[in-house]
Formats: sequence, structure tokens, C-alpha cells
Amino acid sequence: MIRLVTLSFWLACLCATAAAQESPFFVTYTHYMEEPGNLDLEVSTTNGIPRSGQQAYIAPYMEFEYGVTARWTSEIYLEGQSTIGDSSVFTGWRWENRYKLFAREHRINPVLYLEYENVNEASRIQKEIEGGGADLVSSNSVLNGPRSHELEGKLILSSNYRDWNIAENFTLAKNFSESEGIEFGYAFGVSRPLSSLASANECRFCRENFAVGAEVYGGLGSTLDFGPHGAAHYFAPVLSWTVSDNSTLRISPGVGLTPEASPVLIRFGLTYEVRGFGERVSRLLGRRP
Amino acid sequence: MRAVAISALCVSLAIMGFGQNPRYQQDPEWRAPTEAASRENPLASKPELAAGGKKLFVRNCVECHGREGTGMESKHSADLQLPIVQEESDGTLFWKITNGNAKHGMPSFSKLPELQRWQVVLYIRTLKPLPPESSIRTNNHKGHEVPRRNSFVILCVLRG
Repeated sequence: MIRLVTLSFWLACLCATAAAQESPFFVTYTHYMEEPGNLDLEVSTTNGIPRSGQQAYIAPYMEFEYGVTARWTSEIYLEGQSTIGDSSVFTGWRWENRYKLFAREHRINPVLYLEYENVNEASRIQKEIEGGGADLVSSNSVLNGPRSHELEGKLILSSNYRDWNIAENFTLAKNFSESEGIEFGYAFGVSRPLSSLASANECRFCRENFAVGAEVYGGLGSTLDFGPHGAAHYFAPVLSWTVSDNSTLRISPGVGLTPEASPVLIRFGLTYEVRGFGERVSRLLGRRP
Repeated sequence: MRAVAISALCVSLAIMGFGQNPRYQQDPEWRAPTEAASRENPLASKPELAAGGKKLFVRNCVECHGREGTGMESKHSADLQLPIVQEESDGTLFWKITNGNAKHGMPSFSKLPELQRWQVVLYIRTLKPLPPESSIRTNNHKGHEVPRRNSFVILCVLRG
């Protein structure tokens, strides 16, 4: 398993060619939006270390995040999953949209989030935990069935206090292919950069290039059985490193807090920002940006 | 051969020139509240920190404002050298960086720590405003006086 985790980390590093100051969180969303016209390409993996009776898994996913306007960010996800001693499967895609409600900064900045998911039960990227969480026990042959249609909404609240960012996410999801009721989840995160000031010299390892924090996330059951019991919950320290002007590397070694969670959940993510993407496409299409 | 080289230079300089936004007009609705505008830069006594501000500027602002901060007409972004920008208070610039102007495509940079945003303000102050073009004159290779910013246009006319 350690070899697989190391391999996925180095695969993520190999994809790096080039920093945008990205939020270090994997699950918790903040009110920071993608800059208009920029495209973020992100390769990430969620690596689960198993309990007895479970198999280790790697769930890689790709994100294409585009800043439609200064207040509206849209993202497409493609995801898969590979379970040790089982198989590798493509688990589906997602399309999410985030809209910042207020144009100006406030003490609390609310963002509305709406996502359409076309994924099956084998999905283990765990970008959010809703209901009880992912099925980590059944084999892919059982889980890799038809993909379901799911709509997910979030209320994102995010605040900056001094150099700290504090974010709270409240999730509700409705699976239109199953009668699971409406499922709920939560995520809370705090983070801050290691340095408040930027140094004068160009450097990869300056303190200002690093941000640290922690997030807690989990499921809250559904309308059929509401509550945190019987659901996966995780605590995860997070670290982001702005490698260059266009790329950011993120790492999060999470710990499962309940028997329904993987005991250890290690996440890696590498983001590469393509600046002025919208303008370039407009030019290609002969339109004025 | 020399004529071709001069023409190429004129074209490239002209492209650079058209990239600027000297006709930038501020959004009259984009105004910092009085309290925010009156804030003083806590780093004002440390001008050496502007170098870090430059690094942040290159990372976050160049895409729309250009390396010299002259703005881009195609993006309707501000020419930061213009007096209408430079005459604004430090607090106003800080507020604008923090909040952005979503209506006109300027994102919020509240993701930068507060002191880093003040560093960017320090750096913007180093982008000295150009006095009116008629008053800035420089000499071309023949010793003719030409306005500094549009010297390439004059050069092309002289050559053409």
C-alpha cells in the first residue's frame, strides 16, 4: 500500500510543469473563487488504507476548474477508482458550480454550491461525505453498476480573520435514482499561510509559499435516519505548497474517526493554472474576448 | 534590410502600445468606504518590502495589468501609473485589491494575507505616474524631442 501511495504521489509530481495561491483544503470550500478566464487543471488522488476486511484503494480524479466570472466558478470532474486485489473502474463525472453571493468581502462570505453527479456506488474520491459515506467493503463488481443521477447543494460560509481562513460547509444531496431520502454532510476547515509577508527573492521553499491547516468532515445521515452516528468522519491536517507561479501541490493525511471511515485517508493534489484560458479560446474562435 | 528591421520594431512597439490602457476610466461606483480609504499602510515605513510586493504583483496582477502596470485595453484593466490611480489613498488601493470589482472582472484578492496586500500597495506606489504626455519629452536617435510613451509612433512616422 505504501508503495502505491508513494507511486501516486510521484505521478502527481511528474504531472507538474510549473502558483496560484490555492486553498489547502481537499474537501472544505472557501469563498475564494477562480480568477475569471483562468482554468485550473488538477490531478488528485484519494488513497484509503484499509481496516481488516477492507481492501486498500486509490481513487484518482481530474478537475477542470474555470472562472466564468469573478463570482462564478464552474468545475468538471472525471473520477475513477482502483482497489487492490480487485479492479480499476471509471466511476463517473461531476459538474459543480459555485456562486459568491456578495460582491464585497464581509465578516462571513456565503457561497452557494450546486453540483450534478453522474457517479456509481464504486466512487471513493470522497470529495464530500454525505449520508453514511462511501461503501468501502463491497467489491467493484457489486458497486460498479449503473451510474445514478444526484444533485447536491452546499452552503459555504467562509471568513478571514487576520491571516486565518475559517470555512464551514453544509451539504445536502438527493439521489434521483435511489430512494435514499435527502442526505446530509458537513465540512469545517481552518488554514493560514506560514508567513504573512512575501520575501523579495524568488524562492520555491520560502515560508509564504506554504499554507497549513486542518479540516474535519463527515456525514450526517439522511432524512430517513438523521445524525452523525453510523457515518464516516475524518480529521485531516492539510498542507499546500505553491511550487511556482502556476502550480500548487497539496497533501493531506487524514484519520478516520469512526468505524465507517478508512483508518487513514491520504490525499495528494497537484494544480496547474492556465492563465487567460478563456481569452485564448475566444481568440481561437475569432471572437473578441 | 534596415528598413525591414525598423518596420518590425515599429510593429512590435505598436502592439505593445495598444496593449496599454491609457484611456482607463474608473468605475464611479467602485469607491472605498471612507473608513477603509483612510487606513494607513502599516508597511509605509518599510519601503524595502515593496520588492516582495513586486513578486506578488507579478504572480497575481500582471495577467491583467501588465508587467509595467499599464493595464490592458482588451481587459479594461487600470493603468496603475495614471494619476487617477496613484492619487488614491493607500487604504483605497488596499480596499480595491481586497474586494475586487466583480462587475468589471477584477477578482477579490482576499486570499492573500493582509500584509501581503499592503506589500502590493507599496509596489504600486513605485509605478510612478506619468505626467501629461506633452510635458514628458525625450530624444530619439536623431535628437528630435518626442513624447516618451508614444516615441515609437513618432519614430515610425519619421521613418515612414
